[in-house]
Amino acid sequence: MEQLTTSRRFPLSQHTIGPFFPADYFQPGDNDLTRVTADAARTIKGEPFMLTGTVMKENREPVANAILELWQADAAGRFRHPEDPAADQADTDFLGWGRAWSTGDGAYSFHSILPGGYQENGILRAPHLNILVMGIGLMRTVETTLFFPAFPEENANDPILSVLPEDLRHMLVMRDDGIVDGVRSYGFDILLRGPRGQETPFFET
Amino acid sequence: MQNDTQARSYDPWPDGVQPSVPIEGYTNTWTHTPSQALFQRPVTRTEATGPVNLWQKLLCGDSNLAKTATGKFAQGLLMQVSGHVLDEDGRPIPNAIVELWQANAAGRYTHALDNREAPLDPNFLGHGRVRSDENGAYSFLTIKPGAYPVPVKDTWWRPPHIHFSVLGPSSLSRLVTQMYFPGDPLNDWDRILQSVGDAAARQRLVATQLHPADVGDEFLGYHHDIVLRGRNATPEA
Repeated sequence: MEQLTTSRRFPLSQHTIGPFFPADYFQPGDNDLTRVTADAARTIKGEPFMLTGTVMKENREPVANAILELWQADAAGRFRHPEDPAADQADTDFLGWGRAWSTGDGAYSFHSILPGGYQENGILRAPHLNILVMGIGLMRTVETTLFFPAFPEENANDPILSVLPEDLRHMLVMRDDGIVDGVRSYGFDILLRGPRGQETPFFET
Repeated sequence: MQNDTQARSYDPWPDGVQPSVPIEGYTNTWTHTPSQALFQRPVTRTEATGPVNLWQKLLCGDSNLAKTATGKFAQGLLMQVSGHVLDEDGRPIPNAIVELWQANAAGRYTHALDNREAPLDPNFLGHGRVRSDENGAYSFLTIKPGAYPVPVKDTWWRPPHIHFSVLGPSSLSRLVTQMYFPGDPLNDWDRILQSVGDAAARQRLVATQLHPADVGDEFLGYHHDIVLRGRNATPEA
């Protein structure tokens, strides 16, 4: 490591994944965050939920083969990462990351456990899900953060949701789909391109 | 504690590094690219973190794309691509997940969506996933991909290139990019590569060919460092 003297480097430019992202990259369980791997035991901490939605492009046409990646805290609001002061208490049966791909009609789904909210520098973060989308025609990945409908007060005070103009904030709150097949379910459709008030609000990455 | 903010501050993308969109002749960039301005947000814990043991979920190890499990070689020029995964301060990033995929020597992907009339190679799948080692180093053996046309009215060709999807230490260091080959005339006409405005930034997407004396007689060697967005260069107080 000594030979690699630290010197200023520039990050490589982003490009699209194009149409040929290998289908083999998807393995059963990749979109299931309740287990680290498909054959691992399910985490016992936290309430399971399902997130489903449709990825769409201009004119609300469905986008097939979009790749979505989810990153979230565990049930107690902790990340198993050195940046989290409570990382050593994070759920070891929970990786916090999953990947889904959209089908021909643009549909995607994730299974996970409800993330906890947490304090950061004295500010309360509402429970949330970080979603990244990549796909054909998207030269840069796009990112957004989804919030849960059950926490109106926490959402109203969340420092990231508050970055949006007030009239757009509701757009990042998931739809409550009630209980589907015994699992708490939420819905969130992603419109990559559309007029203000319809296009999903995305954050600078 | 006062280092918290500093450790989590990321430099903005330098000018001219990000592709300029939409791209003429790449129809999908006109319909898939957000039209509204992206929202600036502070970097908090949730953006500065990411899965640290991702290799548990995304299994790695396919670093030889040029040879099948039964020992059959793919058609094409054998080559090795190697380099380091680094952050903006040149620090190596160990345990990064590096996914790569490419066309075969005839410029065709082993993918259901590639219907072009060019031969498939039964001994070439064209993708793999490797993990950077403790020094941030990665390496894989493959064949040089072929160029292929983009099926639009004013045809243009994609030069030989390799796709990379890299998962580093945080959500903000997530990178999807492509690597090109030095000296290919198609590079100057590639609408995707040329969408990067800054000449130096484009050059960083082009691998360096290694001297054969340093590589040997089995395969060609290319060096390509993958630099992810990293922590702010400002030294900690």
